[in-house]
Amino acid sequence: MVGGFRVIHLVRPFLAFLPEVQSPERKIPFREKVIYTVISLFIFLVCSQLPLYGIHSTTGADPFYWMRVILASSRGTVMELGITPIVTSGMVMQLLAGSKIIEIDNNVREDRALLNGAQKLLGILIAVGQAVAYVLSGMYGSVGELGVGNAILIIVQLCFAAIIVLCLDELLQKGYGLGSGISLFIATNICESIIWKAFSPTTINSGRGAQFEGAVIALFHLLITRTDKVRALREAFFRQNLPNVTNLHATVLIFLIVIYFQGFRVVLPVRSKNARGQRGSYPIKLFYTSNMPIILQSALVSNIYFISQILYRKFGGNFLVNLIGTWKESEYSGQSIPVGGIAYYITAPSSLAEMATHPFHALFYLVFMLAACALFSKTWIEVSGSSAKDVARQLREQQMVMPGHRDSNLQKELNRYIPTAAAFGGLCIGALTVLADLMGAIGSGTGILLAVTIIYQYFETFEKEKASELGFFGL
Amino acid sequence: MARGSSQSQQSTSTGSSTARPGLAAPRGSAAATAGMRRRRLGGGGGVSSGGGSGVGSGSSNMLRFYTDDAPGLKISPTVVLIMSLCFIGFVTALHVFGKLYLHKSGSQA
Repeated sequence: MVGGFRVIHLVRPFLAFLPEVQSPERKIPFREKVIYTVISLFIFLVCSQLPLYGIHSTTGADPFYWMRVILASSRGTVMELGITPIVTSGMVMQLLAGSKIIEIDNNVREDRALLNGAQKLLGILIAVGQAVAYVLSGMYGSVGELGVGNAILIIVQLCFAAIIVLCLDELLQKGYGLGSGISLFIATNICESIIWKAFSPTTINSGRGAQFEGAVIALFHLLITRTDKVRALREAFFRQNLPNVTNLHATVLIFLIVIYFQGFRVVLPVRSKNARGQRGSYPIKLFYTSNMPIILQSALVSNIYFISQILYRKFGGNFLVNLIGTWKESEYSGQSIPVGGIAYYITAPSSLAEMATHPFHALFYLVFMLAACALFSKTWIEVSGSSAKDVARQLREQQMVMPGHRDSNLQKELNRYIPTAAAFGGLCIGALTVLADLMGAIGSGTGILLAVTIIYQYFETFEKEKASELGFFGL
Repeated sequence: MARGSSQSQQSTSTGSSTARPGLAAPRGSAAATAGMRRRRLGGGGGVSSGGGSGVGSGSSNMLRFYTDDAPGLKISPTVVLIMSLCFIGFVTALHVFGKLYLHKSGSQA
């Protein structure tokens, strides 16, 4: 680089305009954190139900149909974009920093500030781009119908909602709330989806009269109204096209498996050089990067879907466009589903039967899931400052050493565990996602993984906060 | 090598000496959190200052974009919440006025 100039410096002029939540000047009491978290969640949920003003219709094909729950977005509402802008900007910054296109030194405070500003700026730009694409692509009716005024109003609403999500997330992360706003919104959306599919009172007319959508409600309804109890049970457990009891069991099973894996870790003993006898441990979890691989993989897939559908609608028939993905309307849900190209191959097979019918699709999907999660996981530790080098430096700054090892060997020792935990953990995440999809878990494999890991983290956070409060009062 | 790790923590240090190195670590990192956890058993001064910077952060591996203060348009958390509620009110008002407008134009026709 000439004269120390770096790409990241391009962000500097914009920093003054980006909204920045102040860091807390004092320790926030636990109750106050809960209040902030609940209010943020309330704002998010209201926005998810608040219809966009000015739209004519939402009957067009929904490119995000399969990703709505995971990306915490709601069709036709001000929360249409959900967390996509934030997650996508995070993914892009990860790729840029990880591949050294942008040079970031996590040790330099200014670099971290610029990186944060760049992510925020990129998130806002992505929100603007997506909002414009939504309107121009006719998602809410053709532009001619809407009129220029309404089109601009819609874009402004979507962009402002994206900025609000960004600020709420920053609010929670700065210490005013618990955990991360993005995780909170995703987990809420997924839990809402699961509860709805289990207990929904909505009736859907099928060939044999009205049926309840909720699996549990349907089970009791069938048992009560059918004279043939055995057939009623089989219907409740294995009916097609609607949530059934087997789906519920699969969901619970995945929950339990993920919780079990959460406990896997390698515990490294550490002790303080200063305080004699003060010892502790530094655990390295199997899921070292937690749910990050799934979030980034979901963002990648949803963007491929989005781009592919827009291109297909405009330039259907072009060879390259067909290579990216070909789409058709689903007879049941009325949504577009991928039937060819890359978009098809990165979509989960809908059943074991389909896997047997299209083995190449199944194999491609499996390899894609495992490779994407492992790669994202491994790259993320570098970007997020949790690589072996970063951890070694942090421990050194705190005057912590590993018994039996010289200072210079600390990083080498950590290097034996951290990259392996990250890559293998990502691989396990991918495998569990595939397993959940094949078993027909409610929602999607990706959604289940996200919900479980996020909820688990919230339990851990609560425990930590309680311990802190008690310790504080104990003084 | 097999090595047992002791979970007990004995504190013989002064708060000031243990607090200073911890503050240098990036906020929210796993190592800083581990350090903070032990430091709480130290002096009162160390616990309050260390806790202020470390306890607020969630898991270090959650999706994190904001770990340091960056120069920018400073807004307080209250402003964020009020801004969000005003936006919700604004869109709701748009719907209400939109309905009234349609009703008025409908009656005139």
